[in-house]
Amino acid sequence: MTSPRPPRYTVGVDIGGTFTDVVVLSSDGEVHINKAPTTPADFSGGVLDAIHEAATGLGLSRSEFLQRTDMIKHGSTVATNALITRKGVKVGFITTRGFEDTTLIMRAVGRVDGLGEDEIRRVTSITKPQPLVPPEKIRGVAERIDTEGAVIIPLDREGTRAAIRDLVEGQAVDAIAVSFLHAWRNPEHEEAVAQLVTELYPDGRIFCTLGSRLSQVAGEYARANTAISDAFVGPTVRKYLSNLEAQVRSEGFAGRILAMQGNGGLTSHDVATPISTLQSGPAGGMLASAYMAERLGHKRAVTADMGGTSFDVGVLDDGYWRYADEPIFERFRILMPITDITSIGAGGGTMSHIDEATGRLIVGPESAGARPGPVCYGTGGELPAITDADLVLGYIDPDYFLGGRRKLDKAAAIRAMEEKIGNPLGLSAVEAAAGIVRIIDSKMADLIRREVIKSGYLPEDFVLYAFGGASPVHAVGYARDLGVREIIVFPTAPVFSAFGIAGADLVHTRLVTRAYPLPMPAAELNADLDALEAALASELERDGLDAAPEFRRYVTLQFRRQSTGEEIRLPWDRFTDERIAELPDLFVAHYERLYGKGIAYAEAGLDIAGLRVDAVGRVAKPELRPVADSGGTLADAQKGARQAWFEGGFVETPVYDERRLAAGISLTGPAIVESPFTTVVVPPGATLSVDPYRNLVIRP
Amino acid sequence: MSSATAAPVRIDPVNFEIFSHRLWAVGEEGRIALQRVTASPIVAQGGECMCSFYDAGGTMILACSGHLRFAAATSDAIRRMIEWFDADPGIHEGDEFIINDPYVAGSHTYDIMQIAPIFHDGKRVGWVASSSHTADTGGVLRGAATEIFHEGIRLLGLKIVENGVFRQDVFKTITEQCRDPHYVGMDIKSRTAANVVCGRGYQSLIKQFGIDFVLAAGQKLIDDAEAMARNKLATIPDGQWRSRIYGSARSHATRRSEPYQVICTATKTGDSLTLDFEGSSLQLASDQNSTLPSTTAHVAIALTNQIFWDVPWSDGRLKPVTIRVPEGTALNCRFPAACGRSPRIGQYVVEAVRDCLTKMLYAAGHTDDLNASWGSFWYLGGPGIFYGGHNRRGLPNPQGLYDIHGGGLGAAPTRDGVPSGGQMNIPSGGISDVERIELQYPFLVFSRNHATDGGGAGRWNGGTGTSRLMMVHGSTDTTVDYAPYAGMPHGAFGLFGGYPVGIGGLRALIDPGEGFAAALAAGKHPVMAADLLADGSGAKAVLPQGDPGRVLLREGSIQADFTQGGGGYGDPLDREPERVAQDILRRVVSARLADLLYGVVVDADGRLDAPATDARRAAIRAERKAQSAAPRAGTTGVSGSIPAVGAAPAGNAPAGNAPAGNAPAGNAPADNAPVDNAPADNAPADVLRFHESLEIVGTGSAAAVRCRRCGAGLGTAAENYKHHALRRDRSLDELAARGMPDGSPYLGVLREYACPGCATLLQVDVFVPQLGGDEDLWDIRINR
Repeated sequence: MTSPRPPRYTVGVDIGGTFTDVVVLSSDGEVHINKAPTTPADFSGGVLDAIHEAATGLGLSRSEFLQRTDMIKHGSTVATNALITRKGVKVGFITTRGFEDTTLIMRAVGRVDGLGEDEIRRVTSITKPQPLVPPEKIRGVAERIDTEGAVIIPLDREGTRAAIRDLVEGQAVDAIAVSFLHAWRNPEHEEAVAQLVTELYPDGRIFCTLGSRLSQVAGEYARANTAISDAFVGPTVRKYLSNLEAQVRSEGFAGRILAMQGNGGLTSHDVATPISTLQSGPAGGMLASAYMAERLGHKRAVTADMGGTSFDVGVLDDGYWRYADEPIFERFRILMPITDITSIGAGGGTMSHIDEATGRLIVGPESAGARPGPVCYGTGGELPAITDADLVLGYIDPDYFLGGRRKLDKAAAIRAMEEKIGNPLGLSAVEAAAGIVRIIDSKMADLIRREVIKSGYLPEDFVLYAFGGASPVHAVGYARDLGVREIIVFPTAPVFSAFGIAGADLVHTRLVTRAYPLPMPAAELNADLDALEAALASELERDGLDAAPEFRRYVTLQFRRQSTGEEIRLPWDRFTDERIAELPDLFVAHYERLYGKGIAYAEAGLDIAGLRVDAVGRVAKPELRPVADSGGTLADAQKGARQAWFEGGFVETPVYDERRLAAGISLTGPAIVESPFTTVVVPPGATLSVDPYRNLVIRP
Repeated sequence: MSSATAAPVRIDPVNFEIFSHRLWAVGEEGRIALQRVTASPIVAQGGECMCSFYDAGGTMILACSGHLRFAAATSDAIRRMIEWFDADPGIHEGDEFIINDPYVAGSHTYDIMQIAPIFHDGKRVGWVASSSHTADTGGVLRGAATEIFHEGIRLLGLKIVENGVFRQDVFKTITEQCRDPHYVGMDIKSRTAANVVCGRGYQSLIKQFGIDFVLAAGQKLIDDAEAMARNKLATIPDGQWRSRIYGSARSHATRRSEPYQVICTATKTGDSLTLDFEGSSLQLASDQNSTLPSTTAHVAIALTNQIFWDVPWSDGRLKPVTIRVPEGTALNCRFPAACGRSPRIGQYVVEAVRDCLTKMLYAAGHTDDLNASWGSFWYLGGPGIFYGGHNRRGLPNPQGLYDIHGGGLGAAPTRDGVPSGGQMNIPSGGISDVERIELQYPFLVFSRNHATDGGGAGRWNGGTGTSRLMMVHGSTDTTVDYAPYAGMPHGAFGLFGGYPVGIGGLRALIDPGEGFAAALAAGKHPVMAADLLADGSGAKAVLPQGDPGRVLLREGSIQADFTQGGGGYGDPLDREPERVAQDILRRVVSARLADLLYGVVVDADGRLDAPATDARRAAIRAERKAQSAAPRAGTTGVSGSIPAVGAAPAGNAPAGNAPAGNAPAGNAPADNAPVDNAPADNAPADVLRFHESLEIVGTGSAAAVRCRRCGAGLGTAAENYKHHALRRDRSLDELAARGMPDGSPYLGVLREYACPGCATLLQVDVFVPQLGGDEDLWDIRINR
């Protein structure tokens, strides 16, 4: 099967907190994964290093490799990082007069947004975060549009000009964000401001962003935040991407660079709305899951990503994921279509302690993070963390953590476990560790159950995809608790987001708020769809897509008077009066699946609250190829054995090298499977087999 | 008590953690379901709902996040259901009761609770409850009720689900009593949905852990909460704290708003606490009364948020607390008094209790969690927030519009209060987007910004609330409740010299005059009500004659109002001048009040004038002395002979020179001597700092109160320090510099108490002379 020509490559890149991951999809169906340390001072360094690693693995120089690469698909953490570290540009904010304080009032929920349940309960201590735009850089201008889009007060152009000049000259801002009331319905005043900015500063040095271009959904607080965040990170993101492009071009790269977005799709990097790249990493994980679900024929899957500080859960239903209503980033809610992923504080660094008053064993949500870190890191941590418990129980190898990059101090972990937890409770260090693991596993199970139930199904209807550094250690623990029947650990799990990004397509999404009572004429709804699809098609055209886009259409319905709607995917491309008459039945069925029989209340009347269209532009990519049963044996893969704690005692447990486990092999627990970045724990009673994609399939 | 099990069950600590987290998670699932199904914006967006679990006898085991009032109330409802209906018609598996009688549980008829028993092997082992606010129970619209019978349908426990079957007859009978049956119906279904989720979850816990474990673990949650609550109380010195909070209510007799008061005396002994409301006003003839269950629920809110925030939400946390409320007062009204506005008076109960608790916590050194009041209005009356009529789509207007869920919060010992930060009852609640409001209500909002001067002045300012100006847009029949003006601070307390209330904002109905629509189309964009009234366009305040209760809002007419702010902390003269200059720049404080209360002077460009500020502050201290009555300790016979300590840390007995006379006013140390550097920071064991500026030195009969800043003495620990302080009254006319919208007089004053030595403000009380009572309320009395 040797091709006469050398293979071509598609590269997926994801910048993580510690490592920058690269996945290379080769036109011959091979998948190569590599990592290099992330370089926060200039992220492109880590990206080029990781690409270098990949090239070296293929026996090529970086420049040779780049010349054979057709596409670099990039999930960048630049936007996220700029927001977290507050290292964006100086932003001025122009809004409707009388609403200058909207982003400071934060709908009052801004005081608790982004905080955990335990933090929120400390009612009299919590405060709002520092605003991204301080009051002195906010200007209101006279203008007012109503819910129907009618202009009640015309835009004060002179006042707007003065405001722009004042912000640029007086406040020295680099970017201007604009968000007016009801611009989601009628953007003409916002567009006029953008034009005035261009007229006043034609050299383009002022980055200008409009809320109405980012979101057509009602909710001025989150939309204003979206515009402000976009302006805050925009120049930084654009500069980063163009620098990266210049560097790879200088080494002979002639392909395309596409940026990953939080909606799970790519956009061409030069037109990307910078803020849309937020959360591209988690979206990549979701996309990888969707990609694998399609190949494995899984209708429903729940993704469980356990890292150092948090446990993130996403739900795939029929190959697609939901978007969060108003996703909260850091402590700011925004209005962008971002993959709905829910987190709790449960990771390797999550700490335990004994409550003084009640003697309760409290696990989390506080995390030791990287500093002071778990006790076994030897970097000052005093309270036992989950990683310490995993170490004490023999699940992870002190000499093979992160492939041996970090040595762990097991004796210190045992000592802390005994002193801080075991002694007060009358338990041994191992029993304390086992208790901590059961508690954290059960908390993770609670979160998964809640997310799954929200989708209207039960946990047993789902396959569980476990990825992230700590997830496969604990997966059987929480899966058993949930009644999940199958867990999959992918060979790409250590670089799962990058893998998803490598396989991504171009996607643009538009959501619009509507308040349409049903029934209504089909023509009006179709006109909305026409407009949305035309706008999306032109975005894809700008991305360079020449084929016809595929559209997915959704409608959000609610019983009249409700504030929250439910989104259902339309089984048709356009409405007819007959189809509109079918909507109530479709909705009631969906609704009662979510909330129970008899809960739907069709007599109240039904409203359309919004429409959404996704436009997908397929990007050519290599197909993952199943491998034949190689006939390798289990013994070939065994690298050793160690004592691990299961069901009340230590058991001699064989340890296997994941890279040497051939397709077709199966085994029964107890067993531990290790790769440099993942450890899979298979307790007694569970089985593991290796499928043709070399996925580990565990039946808990 | 939960039904007893034969042998005590050992509670394994690991299983207990798994159980309690799972129970909480189930409650959260229930609440999420409720919020998504409800038709009430205040529930869906404001979070005014709750799911909770109870033992077989009705003691609460755990409540999830949501509206705290419900958590405390529903225990009462369950106990009453058992008492009334256990024998006849019986309480069976698959039943669900609906109840909204505020004389049984809850605050007003709009607090609707649905409770369902949980059975195991045919035996009742617990209850789940789902509660939320449904602002339509029929009856008369808000503002006119004088008896509970006017406040719509009152359910004393009716099976909405019986034997697992949803009862359409009951459903229809309830919903058809209401103005918007579909809205009410959706809310009933939302609570049923939540109970289904919670009940199913509870059964799965029984299956997983066994019934004996579940019952014992539930009891342990209750016992743990009690232990944690007692531990917390034990860290506080014994003593007595007292608060007086004012409110007002429409009197149908005088056709005016009349003041009333909530008095709370908190006595802490060992690990228990008594809250006594003796002295509070008698019940009112309007709908502003609180039933005993409502008062108890509001006390629970204050305790939970202010002191037991880290204690699990079970009834155990309330066991160390005894509550006494005299019957016939506005806090324990007699049937059939109306109580639709009970949450308002409930807020004053919360603040009165918190006023005591914050000072208790300060004396215990728990300074991280203190806040001055969260509910300060400098006046009330005028148009309310409860609407009638229809919106532009022809649907009934949602009845309430709750911007008050985004009021300013009280200042803390090391920071300003959070502006527009929320509301006590719903820790994670918030206000709606104006765009969403305009999609549901018939309004066009011209402004919703932070109110200038909306928070109490202090070394740390109270957070300001919001003020708004809005026009009726797309409705010809909208009405709003309306009350006569009451010019007096409501719900307000400051801490340790901070002003209890801000004085910004205007509440009024405004007729914008002819040609307003054309003026808008020509570019006019009004923002502040006061500007609109003064711009010469013919806009004028509308003052309905008599006591109409509700008024019609004509299309195009305007309503202006503001939400509550927070109280201040510490003497405003101690606020860093640069901060005040910044406040002015940010429109949070006006230049006028900067000068009047903070003694900060800025030039025309807003830059701080430091020399002028120093002079102004010295002058204000001098005024405090010059305008004050002499210390009033004559009755105790010790005034003249109080030995004051010097600035040096004292040994045992206070010794030194006489206080006031020796300290020249212009030489006050305040600006350069922040309180934190005061002598007592390395305090010997017998010095108790119980106030930002005051401490008690010595014990027993030798215990004396002195100023931490200048060492001046303020009597013995067995006396009211206020009797030894400088005192002067500030009129609201002077502070506000404008009268009430209808020209009626202000009823209250702000009474300042200052150190006789350095003139540092120690306390600023609201005092309403016409209600009488203690002239100098003794707010802190520590047993030494």
